[in-house]
Amino acid sequence: MDIRLTVNGTEHALSVDVRTTLLDALRERLELTGTKKGCDLGQCGACTVLMDGRRVLACFTLAVAAEGAAITTIEGLAGDDEPLHPMQQAFLENDAYQCGYCTPGQIMSAIACVQEGYAETDEQIREYMSGNLCRCAAYPKIVAAIRQARPLLENR
Amino acid sequence: MPDGTQTMIGQPALRIDGRAKLTGRARYASDEVVPNPAHAFLVTSSIARGRIRGFHLDQARAVPGVLDILTHENVGGEAEKPKPMAGGDTTSTLESDRVWHDGQIIAVVVADSFEAAREAAHKVRVDYEAERPSATFGSPGAEEEVRKAGEHKDYHVGDAEAAFAAAPFKVDARYGTPTQHHNPIELFTTTCVWNGSKLTVYEPSQFVYGLRGNLAQQLHIEPGDIHVISRYVGGAFGSRGGITARTAWIAIAARRLGRPVRLVPTRDQGFTIVTYRAETRHHIQLGATSDGRLTALRHEGWEVTSRPSQYNVSGTETTARVYACPNILTKVNIVHADRNTPGFMRAPPETPYMFPLEVAMDELAVALGMDPVELRRVNDTMRDPATGLEYSSRSLMECYDQAGARFGWKSRDPAPRSMRDGDWLVGWGCASAAYPANIGPAAVRVTLTPEGRARVQIAAHDIGTGAYTVLAITAAERLGLPIEHVTVELGGSELPAAGLAAGSSHTAGICNAVAKACEEIRQKLALAAVVTNDGALSGQDASALVLREGALRSPAGAKEDLRAALSRVTGGVLEVYAENIPQGLPRESIGKAYAGQMSMSRGHSRQDATTYTFGAQFVEVRVHSRTGEVRVPRAVGAFAAGTIVNPLTAHSQCIGGMIWGIGAALHEATEIDPNAARYVNDNLSEYLIPVNADVPQVEAILVPERDDRVNPLGIKGLGEIGIVGMNAAVCNAVWHATGRRIRELPIRIEDLL
Ligand code: FES
Ligand code: FES
Repeated sequence: MDIRLTVNGTEHALSVDVRTTLLDALRERLELTGTKKGCDLGQCGACTVLMDGRRVLACFTLAVAAEGAAITTIEGLAGDDEPLHPMQQAFLENDAYQCGYCTPGQIMSAIACVQEGYAETDEQIREYMSGNLCRCAAYPKIVAAIRQARPLLENR
Repeated sequence: MPDGTQTMIGQPALRIDGRAKLTGRARYASDEVVPNPAHAFLVTSSIARGRIRGFHLDQARAVPGVLDILTHENVGGEAEKPKPMAGGDTTSTLESDRVWHDGQIIAVVVADSFEAAREAAHKVRVDYEAERPSATFGSPGAEEEVRKAGEHKDYHVGDAEAAFAAAPFKVDARYGTPTQHHNPIELFTTTCVWNGSKLTVYEPSQFVYGLRGNLAQQLHIEPGDIHVISRYVGGAFGSRGGITARTAWIAIAARRLGRPVRLVPTRDQGFTIVTYRAETRHHIQLGATSDGRLTALRHEGWEVTSRPSQYNVSGTETTARVYACPNILTKVNIVHADRNTPGFMRAPPETPYMFPLEVAMDELAVALGMDPVELRRVNDTMRDPATGLEYSSRSLMECYDQAGARFGWKSRDPAPRSMRDGDWLVGWGCASAAYPANIGPAAVRVTLTPEGRARVQIAAHDIGTGAYTVLAITAAERLGLPIEHVTVELGGSELPAAGLAAGSSHTAGICNAVAKACEEIRQKLALAAVVTNDGALSGQDASALVLREGALRSPAGAKEDLRAALSRVTGGVLEVYAENIPQGLPRESIGKAYAGQMSMSRGHSRQDATTYTFGAQFVEVRVHSRTGEVRVPRAVGAFAAGTIVNPLTAHSQCIGGMIWGIGAALHEATEIDPNAARYVNDNLSEYLIPVNADVPQVEAILVPERDDRVNPLGIKGLGEIGIVGMNAAVCNAVWHATGRRIRELPIRIEDLL
C-alpha cells in the first residue's frame, strides 16, 4: 500500500505491507532507528512516539493508520547541532538511563506525561511512567529528571 | 606512577555517550543500516525432548517473498555447536534432528520482509518423535549428580558436621530461588553481512572477541575474516557474554543468499535461544555460640542445567568466606533436565546463594535474640576463613554503619509485627552483600595529538555501565586533558582486545590498561624532556614529571606545553599500544582475549590475598494485613568497592542492582509447565520486572575505600554488588513485618495470607 507519513515535520512517501507497524516503518524504511523495539507486543514502551502530540506505541500502530498524523520521534527533539530538548537535558544531568535502550521511549513518554498534566507529584510521575519498562532500573532518576524538566516544559 | 595527580577519577562526570543515546543517534546492533537486508524469523520447537522426523515446508515456501528456509536437513553440517563460556558442552540446534528443550531453534525462514518471514515461519509444520521431558527438580527422569571440583571449588575446613552437632544455637533450613530471565530491553538481534570471504556481524555483545573467535571455529573460517560490531548494547546482565546458536545460522543464511540478513527475534524466543538463571535449592546449617560467634557453616546447593551441560554457579565460593567460621563444608549438585543451558545472570553465584545464607543469618539472630547487624559484626573478619588469606580490604561493617544510620535502623523494634501503620504491617530487614573483585586482561591503543586531543581505542563494551565515560576519565586524568578532549572507540573487534564485560571486572580491566598506556606516554615525553639541553625541564627527574592541564610539569612548577614535549618524540601524534595483564594471570592471557577465550583473575582464587567488594542492604516493606500485598517504600544500600572512577554512573549501577534485588524477592520468576517443560510467562507483561511505581525510594551510598593491592588503580568493580543480598533483606523485612519466614522466592501474596 502506498502511504504518506509525516515524521518530525518531513513527509515521506512509501509503500508498505498492510501488516507493517509504524515501528518497523520508522526503523526499517525511514532509517529512524531511535525508536526502539523491545517486545513488539505493546508491553514495554520502548517504541513510544508522539502522534499529534499524544503518546502511542509504534509497535501497536499500523503504519497505514498513522497516515495524516504528525508523528514526532526522538530524532525530532533536537537536531545535530541544536541544544538538547529540556527533557533530554534533564535525563543527561540526572543520569536517568544506563544502556539507553528504553530511553527514547521514556523521553517521549515523559514529555507527554508532563503535557497530560500527570507530572504534578513524584507519585503521579511514577504511576504514569509505569508503562515504560527500564530493565537497567533507572526509575528513581527518571522521576528526578521529569521533576526537573517539568517547569521548563510548561513554560515552553 | 607519580602520585598527587588523581583529580578526575572519583569526580562525577556525565556520560560522554549521553547525547548519542538521548537523541536516538546511538546505533545499537539492529539499528546499523545495511544495504537491502533480508529478514529472518526463527522457528522453534514445540516439544522439549525428542527428534524431528521431518518438515512440511510447502505452505511456508509458498508465502510471497520467502527466499530460503534453513533446517538441519539442508545446513546441519555447515556449522559446529557454539562453545559456552562455562560448563563444557551445550545443546544443539540445526546441527541435528535432536530436540533438547522447548523453544530450541529448529529452522530459520528468510524472506524479503519481516512480515513475510513471520507468516512463513508460522506455516512451517513439523513432525516430531516426542518423548516425555523432565522439567526441573523432582521431575521424573531428571538426573542428579555431585558437581566435581574443576571450574569451581568446594571448601572443607575443620569439622563442620561435628561442630554443628555440638553447637548450642542452630539454624537448619532449606531454601529455594526461581528461574529468571535477563530480559534486557534490546532483543537478541543478529545482522550478518558478507563481503567476499569477509563477514561483518552486528550483534549486542559483552565480548566481541569471544563472538569472533567462537563463530570462526563454528564456521571453520579465520577469526581475522570476521568483524564483530557492537557499539551500543541495550542491556546485557550476562545474557550477551557467550555466543549463542543463532549467530552462525544467520551468517550461513546470509552466505547462501548472497545478501545481508537481519534477525530480530521475538521477546518469547529470547527466553529459550539464550541463557537464563537456573532455579536453585539450598540446605544451610549454621551453628553458633551463645554470643553469636559462628562455629559451623554447611551449605549445599542444587542447580538445574541442560542435559549435556555441566554449567553451575557454585555460589558457595562466596558464602564460605563472608563470615569468620572455623568449620566450613560446602557441596554443590547439578540436576540435568530437558531445558536450555543456563548461563551468567547478574551476580550469577551470589544472587541465589547469598539469599539462603543471609536469611539463615537473620534466623540465627532471632534464635540468639541478637540484633542482625550485631551478629554480622561479631563474625566480621579481615581473613578469608576458607583459605586463611588476608582480605586486600574489607569494609563490610562500615557499609552496615553508614547504611544503617541513613536508614534509621537504631529505632527498629526487633519483635515481629511490632511496627504497624493502619492496615499495613511494617517490617525492616537487612543483609550483607559480597562479590569477588575480578579483573581481566586488556589491550588498548591511546593516541595523543599536539593539539591536546586523545583517542582511546579498545574492544571494551558499554552495556549501560558507563564504560565509554570511565575510559575517557582515566585517559583525561593521566594525560592532563579535559574529558571533552578525549574520544573513545569501543565495541568492535577491529580494536585492541579486552576481555569479557562481566563479573564486575570490566572497569578494573580496561581502566588499568588505559592508565598503563598513558603512563608509557608520560614516560616517553618525560624522558625526552629531561635529556634535552634547551628545555624548561632539562635535567629534571623524569619520574617526577606529570601531565596536567595540557603541559608536562615538574613538582616545582617548571613546565613545557604538550606540543613542545610531543615534538621531541614524534613529528606528529604519539600512539601507544599497551597490554595489561593483571597480577596472577599468565602472559598468554592477552592472547586468549584475542582468541576470544575467557580469562579472569578472580577475587577468591588469588594466591596473594582474597579480593572482595562488600556492601550492606537495608529495606522497609509494608505488607497489607488483609490482602497480603507487599510494597517496598524505601531501601538503602552502602557499598565499598575501592576506587570509584565515576560516582555518577557507579551510583546508577548500584541502585539498578538494588532494584533487581527487589524484583528478585517479589516479582521475578519464570514459571515452568511441569509436563511440557515449557516456560509459560515468556513475555514482559507476565514475567514481572519492577516498574517505576514499584520502587519509590532507593538510595545507594558509595563508602570510600582504598585498596592498593587489588590492582594498580584500586578498582574493585560494582556492576553486581547492588543486587546481592537484597532478596534476603526483603525476605527478612517480610519476616519482621509478619512473623512469617518465607524461604522460597519470589515471595507471593499467597505466602502471606
Ligand atoms: S516495542 Fe512497542 S511496547 Fe515494546
Ligand atoms: S536504560 Fe537500559 S533499559 Fe532503561
